[in-house]
Amino acid sequence: MASKRIQKELQDLQRDPPTSCSAGPSGDDMFHWQATIMGPGDSPFSGAVFFVNIHFPPDYPFKPPKVQFQTRVYHPNINSQGSICLDILKEQWSPALTISKVLLSICSLLTDPNPDDPLVPEIAHIYKTDRPRYEDMAREWARKYAMG
Amino acid sequence: MEDDSDYEDSYVASDVEDYPTSEDGDYGYDPQTEPEISMRRAAYTVLSEEELKLRQQEALQQVMQVLSISEGEAVRVLRHCKWDVNRVNEEWFADTEALRDKIGLVDEQPTGSGRRKESCGICFDEFWVSEMHAAPCNHSFCRGCWKGYVHTAISGGPAVLSLRCPLPDCSAAVPAALVTAVSDPKHREKYHLYSLRSFVEDNQRLEWCPAPGCENAVEALHEVSNEAMDVTCRCGSSFCFNCKEEAHRPVDCETVKKWIIKNSAESENLNWILANTKPCPKCKRPIEKNQGCMHMSCSQCKHEFCWLCLASWQEHGERTGGFYNCNKYESAKKRGDYDAESLKREHARVSLQRYMHYYQRWAENDRARSQALSSKAEANDKKLEVLSEFVATPTSQLKFILDAWAQVVECRRILKWTYAYGYYRFGDNIPDEDTAQKQQQGFFEFNQGQAEMFLEKLNGVVEKDLDNLVEEFKREPGLSEVAPDGSVFVDQASSPERQAVWSKFREQLIGLTEVTRMHFVKLVQELEKGLDQLLAFYSEQPEAEAEAEVEPAAVSTAEASGSATPAQQATAKAPKRSKRSRISSRAAADKASNSAAAFSLQEADSELEAEAGYWQCRRCTVINRDLNSQSCSMCAQNRRGPISAS
Repeated sequence: MASKRIQKELQDLQRDPPTSCSAGPSGDDMFHWQATIMGPGDSPFSGAVFFVNIHFPPDYPFKPPKVQFQTRVYHPNINSQGSICLDILKEQWSPALTISKVLLSICSLLTDPNPDDPLVPEIAHIYKTDRPRYEDMAREWARKYAMG
Repeated sequence: MEDDSDYEDSYVASDVEDYPTSEDGDYGYDPQTEPEISMRRAAYTVLSEEELKLRQQEALQQVMQVLSISEGEAVRVLRHCKWDVNRVNEEWFADTEALRDKIGLVDEQPTGSGRRKESCGICFDEFWVSEMHAAPCNHSFCRGCWKGYVHTAISGGPAVLSLRCPLPDCSAAVPAALVTAVSDPKHREKYHLYSLRSFVEDNQRLEWCPAPGCENAVEALHEVSNEAMDVTCRCGSSFCFNCKEEAHRPVDCETVKKWIIKNSAESENLNWILANTKPCPKCKRPIEKNQGCMHMSCSQCKHEFCWLCLASWQEHGERTGGFYNCNKYESAKKRGDYDAESLKREHARVSLQRYMHYYQRWAENDRARSQALSSKAEANDKKLEVLSEFVATPTSQLKFILDAWAQVVECRRILKWTYAYGYYRFGDNIPDEDTAQKQQQGFFEFNQGQAEMFLEKLNGVVEKDLDNLVEEFKREPGLSEVAPDGSVFVDQASSPERQAVWSKFREQLIGLTEVTRMHFVKLVQELEKGLDQLLAFYSEQPEAEAEAEVEPAAVSTAEASGSATPAQQATAKAPKRSKRSRISSRAAADKASNSAAAFSLQEADSELEAEAGYWQCRRCTVINRDLNSQSCSMCAQNRRGPISAS
């Protein structure tokens, strides 16, 4: 079931690729993908390219995939290990969701952080109290880690 | 004894007003006189797995009929309302739409024609619509995907009972019928188990019997309070309805919890749990946080809370100081709550020696209780028959020996817990100027000592004295030459001397059982009332006199000898009080002993008999079920009067 569904998702992604991201197996293992996410234009991450690791559990799609940033990001909901605090990757996962939808959700999370449910409290605090400083830091990190 | 089951399954207190068979005042017991004690009396029934299923069905049928909804919907509504049918009616009729929304009940959507193909939203394969399944929201998925979805949810635990449609943002409840239709037998069985467990565990009036292997549940017949309530399951195990530990009246649940944790042999495990987990604030299951943010969501009950302050996530916002800087935790630290905790631990370490004193006595009584239990079983299996031949009395009339053993078992249990009580009730070093504490401790220890003394006496009589008596009978000449027809034996057994010895022993044992029981009933009542209130109560009684201070030892000898019947003792021990005297701890203690005697035996008897639903003749030990009758149906012995000669 899992590998068949993963195959289908891959075909869909190849046939109809989303505008700001791409994804595919990182090697021979169909259960291990790598994805790229372009920093959204309306965010301080504009112009940056983020690499993301995706691991499918054997009971995918009934269990959520494990998604982790490989590139460092300055963001209230993404920590230094690359873990993402996103509801659809945890309790709000539904088997009707796909990697494409997950990547799109991550894109919108980059544009609109959720400081009320933070993984990195310090960044969330700066985001809420000093937005220009947050944007500067995010841009600086993006330049340092996610460009060229 | 076919009618035994009447009172085995249903324990009814005389003061439960809404219980149909309760007839207050019929036997001269006025529940108003001792409200504090009667509050703790339990009225409950024991339900087997089958009966539980029936109850669950009854509740479902009732809700289905009243609300005109399907069974699947009724399950959801009942679960939401903790299986309280009255609450269902209230909430449903208060705002039907809001309730339906909350628990995901949607109106059945029209299904299209089955003769077309549609793509399954999970595996993206094409299927005939007629082969697909959907919740009432009509979001169709193929059977295979439903199966995977349902099985994953069932493996995830009881939260599967609130399963929603797989489509993101659709909150329609998946009906039980669909779950069972797509799952395999193994998962289906698990699902039914969760459903039954939900019926018991979500229901405030039901609790599982905690005995290993026992699948019964106990249902409280009145509103449940947070106080200790001892119940006995059909399997024979007694436990506290409130905290699920073994029965522990008169000690409260908090004390028992502390005591058990303290005694836990698995203290290393416990230390790990304490250091690495926190209990879910809602369902209390220990949770280990292994990664992620502070926004926790319990995997079992789905409760969302903050890991730092354990408050519900919904209450968690700007006004509590922001999400990322949980100030409750900081302020608690500043207040010193955490320092107090470590101080307490330090304190516990220092008082280890004191703890050992109480623990040894607690453990010894526990062991003695187990021994008494096996002795009772042994008596039932073997000894009674032997004895019955020696004294020419049918075993059915030797039941008082089993009663004595049962009393020993019960008393050991109570006594055991008084040590846990004593440990927590009085600190390490009571300062000399704290006379109230000293007085209370003296009073408690005196009462405990008295109770213990009676218990030891009773245990001795039913164990050693009885064995000696049997040995004596065996040694008597003639007995070894029992003729095959038993004639010699019968003559010997019914000889007047032996009958006299035997009837004296019987009276002694019955009397002693009664006196011991009374003493423990009193002890339980007094501890539950609270020592401070009790001492105040005794201090307020204006009269207390020197001659009333009967030496407790003397009283006990008189009682233990069995020479006086309980009724006679009651009169002998209730002296007139005339002179005021200052209350010293000693005087208070003696007065306690007097008041124990003055406590009307009749009243207490009625109460206990009403609870049991029968009264036992003191002379021939036959069980009388007419609580209003004053004379034994077998031998016409007066119910309360002195035992008449044969």
